[in-house]
Amino acid sequence: MAMIEFDDVQKYYGDFHALKDINLKIEDGETVVLIGPSGSGKSTLIRTVNGLEPVQDGRLIVNGQDLANNKTDINRIRKNVGMVFQHFNLYANKTILENIMLAPRIVLKRDEAENKKFAMELLDRVGLADQAAKYPAQLSGGQQQRIAIARSLAMKPKCLLFDEPTSALDPEMIDDVLNVMKDIARDSKMTMLVVTHEMGFAREVADRVIFMADGQILEDDSSDTFFNGEPSNERARQFLGKIITH
Amino acid sequence: MKKVYRKLGLLFALLVTVVSLSACGSSAKKDVLAQDKASNTITWGVKADTKLFGLMDVKDNQIKGFEIDLAKAMTKQILGKNGKARFLQVTSQTRMPLLRNGNIDAIMATMTITPERAKQVDFSRSYFDAGQAILVKDGSPIKNVHDLNKKGDVVLGVVGSNSVQNIGKYAPKAKVLQLTDYSQALTALKSGQGQALTTDNGILYGMSVENPGYSVVGGTFTNEPYGIAVDKGQTKFRDATNNALTKIEKSGEYNRLINKWFGNVKGFNLKGAYRR
Amino acid sequence: MISIFQNYGGELFQGFWQTILCSIIALFFALIIGSGFAILEVIPNKIVHVIAKVYIEIFRNIPLLVITMFFYVVIPMYITKISGFAAGTIGLTLYSSAFIAETVRSGIQSVDPGQMEGARSNGLTFWQAMRYIVLPQAFRVVIPPLGNQFINLIKNSSVLAFVAGFDLMYQGNVIASDSLQSMNAYLCVGILYLVITLPLSYYMRHLEKKLAA
Repeated sequence: MAMIEFDDVQKYYGDFHALKDINLKIEDGETVVLIGPSGSGKSTLIRTVNGLEPVQDGRLIVNGQDLANNKTDINRIRKNVGMVFQHFNLYANKTILENIMLAPRIVLKRDEAENKKFAMELLDRVGLADQAAKYPAQLSGGQQQRIAIARSLAMKPKCLLFDEPTSALDPEMIDDVLNVMKDIARDSKMTMLVVTHEMGFAREVADRVIFMADGQILEDDSSDTFFNGEPSNERARQFLGKIITH
Repeated sequence: MKKVYRKLGLLFALLVTVVSLSACGSSAKKDVLAQDKASNTITWGVKADTKLFGLMDVKDNQIKGFEIDLAKAMTKQILGKNGKARFLQVTSQTRMPLLRNGNIDAIMATMTITPERAKQVDFSRSYFDAGQAILVKDGSPIKNVHDLNKKGDVVLGVVGSNSVQNIGKYAPKAKVLQLTDYSQALTALKSGQGQALTTDNGILYGMSVENPGYSVVGGTFTNEPYGIAVDKGQTKFRDATNNALTKIEKSGEYNRLINKWFGNVKGFNLKGAYRR
Repeated sequence: MISIFQNYGGELFQGFWQTILCSIIALFFALIIGSGFAILEVIPNKIVHVIAKVYIEIFRNIPLLVITMFFYVVIPMYITKISGFAAGTIGLTLYSSAFIAETVRSGIQSVDPGQMEGARSNGLTFWQAMRYIVLPQAFRVVIPPLGNQFINLIKNSSVLAFVAGFDLMYQGNVIASDSLQSMNAYLCVGILYLVITLPLSYYMRHLEKKLAA
């Protein structure tokens, strides 16, 4: 069964039809990049996957659970599906180490010693072990985002969602974050769904590229086809043309 | 920080000085009688919440009662047939300050003559011989003021009335609650906050007339002569009120008013109240 | 003024402590009740919102004295005997709780919604997120306005004077009538209120600075 499956999903904000006829399957371990102009619905789409946004119609199965069914325990889904936000959303009142250890402790009831060991390993992996005692406000954007990734990884999720993870960063920090993400894409069996404008990243590690506009999926290609061949959709081609030249 | 506090301290000291000076300053005063004759008006401070003595009639927004009628009669005696009587509502708490700052010329508001008060104001001779009594719910085991002298008993009174001071002599063991006015005190009695309400019998009779189910018991246990209070030093005005009272008594007007207001009150000693 | 303090020291002392006692009890319960209703206002459930709103609108818009009189007069008639002090303290508690609820709610809503999103995405339940992340942050924001509420509450405790609650204001009335020196009596009472509120004011300002750091 697919990790994430959208089956004729519709989403409305009041009368506004934000997501139209979404049909999409993402398999275990795939790294999928979601691109498109602003207002295309890509952020909305990714936020439906962990239930931050509800869907009104269709079926949305994530890790075997149907999100459209209100009996579904959304917290269970979120144990396995982590999210990294454009504005990091680190816990402002907790230290870096606490940020990483909090959820495993109270949600997974992980043993404290094991929790700390794993947390320090993750911090080390993202290159910030020496910042463990600091507070988010004391760190740069790039550092905060790497911590946010570590925080999500601490829950040992099957799937990670990234909602424009580098869009709020100064240019010189973008690479540090992308490197961490590439690392994850290559090393683990992690399913990744990434909303981004960073085409370099997409080219290097994405398995698939999805193009959205006006709430619809217009193009869904393997990365190879998208970048080396050509997208069949005209709109997608135009978009690609404009951003590649940067 | 220190600077701020110094400034504040200075301001406060200034305030206190100004306020205390203004309190002293008011003793150098005017001749109330002359002023009233000139304006052809006497301003009386009266009750507006006390049945039989001074009660606001909500239908025509006029205060009515024995004291109102007496004040009108006295005004005519002092200023002549066309003299005007103005009435300002007062409470036991506000009557003294209002007299002192000149808002009213005289107090005729169920005010008992006492030596302590005589230090602060000048009294006319008494115009009504009241006495302190207690009001209880019908069927109460309390039959007189001495029954109240038990620990745990609660007596209700009004702040500023000398009945709350007196009750301490007759029922020292009882707890005294001082409410802001008679209607508050009566409400408190009705909701069981206390066993008895104490004040002058005349006022209590008024309450029992309005509230069947509550009666005055035990008779009076003090003498509470009501007097008209004028600001200290206004001797001419005070003498004028005494003269007016004498004339009203002699003419039979006084007894007529007594009959008008107390003729139908159960238990009231009419004959004892008449004057010649 | 000194004579007032000398002659009525006992009454003033009693009034002082009754005011403090009433204020502390009322603040304690008003904080609990107010925070409770504030949380009800932010829970994602419309029915619960309505209940909270109704409570808050009732107690915010009815004068404190009216609420107090209800407990002083109506409750003893139908339910149970209740002293002036109790009636005044209960009235003060309910009245203040409505204002505290709004203050706390505003504090909670001022916390960046991203904090809740981050926590929920991390697997925390709504209540876990509130407890560990949102409420602690709201708390810091809410301290200065709550300090104001406390000072208002202390002043509002003067409602006890109307129900013979033996607080400072009640004693002020009694002393003013007994001594026939209204101005001095109320000046003394005013000073005693300042003795309670000024240090509190100063402390709140200090707390604000500390939290802002």
